[in-house]
Amino acid sequence: MEYKAPVETYTGKVAEVVIGKGDKAIKIGGESVLPFHFFEGTIQNPPKLALEIWDIDPAGWAEWVREPYKDVLADPVAWAKKCLDYGADLICVRLASTDPAGDNAPADKAAAAVKTVVGSIKAPVIVYGSGDETKDIAVLTKVAEVCSGEKLLLGPVVKENFEPISKAALDHGHSIIAQTPLDINLEKELNVKLLKSFPPDRIVIDPLSSGLGYGMEYSFTIMERTKHIGVMFGDSTMQMPIIADLGGESWKTKQAKENKEQGILWESIAAISLLLAGANVLVLRHPDSCQYMKEAIEGKL
Amino acid sequence: MVLIGESIHIISKNVNDAVKNRDPKVIQDLARAQSTAGADYIDINLGPAKKDPEEMTKWLVETIQDVTDLPLSVDTLNPVAMEAGLKACKKRPLLNSSSGRTDSKERMLPLAKKYNTDVVISVLTDKGCPPDVDSRTESIMETVTIANDMGIPNEDIWVDPIILPVSADQKQVAEAGEFISILADLLPGVKSTIGLSNVSNGTPEQLRGILNRTYMVMLGRMGLYSAIADVLDEELVAINKGKMPEIVDLIYKTMDGEDIPLSSLDKQKQDYVKTTKVLMGKTLYSHAWLEM
Repeated sequence: MEYKAPVETYTGKVAEVVIGKGDKAIKIGGESVLPFHFFEGTIQNPPKLALEIWDIDPAGWAEWVREPYKDVLADPVAWAKKCLDYGADLICVRLASTDPAGDNAPADKAAAAVKTVVGSIKAPVIVYGSGDETKDIAVLTKVAEVCSGEKLLLGPVVKENFEPISKAALDHGHSIIAQTPLDINLEKELNVKLLKSFPPDRIVIDPLSSGLGYGMEYSFTIMERTKHIGVMFGDSTMQMPIIADLGGESWKTKQAKENKEQGILWESIAAISLLLAGANVLVLRHPDSCQYMKEAIEGKL
Repeated sequence: MVLIGESIHIISKNVNDAVKNRDPKVIQDLARAQSTAGADYIDINLGPAKKDPEEMTKWLVETIQDVTDLPLSVDTLNPVAMEAGLKACKKRPLLNSSSGRTDSKERMLPLAKKYNTDVVISVLTDKGCPPDVDSRTESIMETVTIANDMGIPNEDIWVDPIILPVSADQKQVAEAGEFISILADLLPGVKSTIGLSNVSNGTPEQLRGILNRTYMVMLGRMGLYSAIADVLDEELVAINKGKMPEIVDLIYKTMDGEDIPLSSLDKQKQDYVKTTKVLMGKTLYSHAWLEM
């Protein structure tokens, strides 16, 4: 008797989120199968890769990850273009300058920097604030306003600040990153609250991505469960694409800082793991990791 | 379902202060209120009872018996306090609790025999709480056998499967019903009980009641005999006394997988349907489960 492999079909479908406008636009999510289950259906939007830039010189970065960008670290536009040359699908701007524990730069200055980057490159843009839940309100609402209509992906939006930021994003046509601290129940709670006033196809879930050896398995499990609950069990509050913001977490590890090859592998192994768990977009730092993931996604690894 | 009133609990600050100062008022008020509300037993939870265990427990039991005729559930981990409490009880008490832990088998179970009490036996073991139905079964079979060998009949044993908070382990909450429903076949004649309010531990205070009430109905249908519960929750007691049959019916239908359009229901009924689905593990729990 001929063997026939079992093929599952699922009831749920991940929302398709568009980032960027016009011919810059890319789509993430949209699948109604589990990650890399090509044998069960089509994955119309393969995972996308973002390289990360800062709006100030990232003095604390390991030298191996500063080196590929050494001429452009003080110039976000040139840095963003270099990332695109290295093969990134989109750019993630982290507004590190606004961190109250650091430079504490004002919101309008940071927003102006984002606008310049957005206006200078032919790729969609993700914007992460410093992660300070109070300061991010000022920063991200300003970015939303200054870049009105650019269809940015803005975050992190957390339970303490989701109301003002999501309202600004809604008014100005952007999508948002809903971030919760490695907890699937809190992840759902934030989504439920957001969905009362915000469309599901403009939300991306960030469950937090820990580095390899520093809790990555928690991130893996939560991403995997999110897909199970959204795709297999059809829970509409869990059907958003997932962002794995893992570059920073990977490069701050002792192992990544020790030597270049190990650092790139440290980032790449976390990245491929989280892709398998279900991440729809990765935020990476080293161009080589980006290249490896590109090959993996295209089925070359 | 037999309801054991949970309010006299040493973790409550009022109770703790009253016990420390041997002030009967707070304790007697709680005992009276629970007895009026419809409790079948009054639980006295003393925790580890480290200080003056004998004198304190005796005082508490007598203080409560002065204002109520209900039987007591003496709830402590300290065998010395337990013995003093059981000795002071006028009515046949409930020893709450023993378990599969070595110290409990050696020091608590013999007290149940000595004072001829009903006894709660939980599935806890030296390794902690068994993680699934099979390991709970294994644990309880072993401990009940030991109890039987001491001369404690199944009819005097109230099995406690140990309920976890739905906000912490939704899967085990959904599986507890399965364990309760097989008990009658596993150990004919045994009764069962749970710490009902634990299912809503960690959930925002104002949302706890509906989880407790719904879970009571669900497990009651599976054969649960009793629950240590918040009897000051009027709706909980009303449901238990059969005064809200339409809610019970709705919970049963939801358990049976009937597709009930939420729009046909009022807010209260919608909430019961949503809560049943969460406790069955059909929808992922979040603190916002009623807002969806």
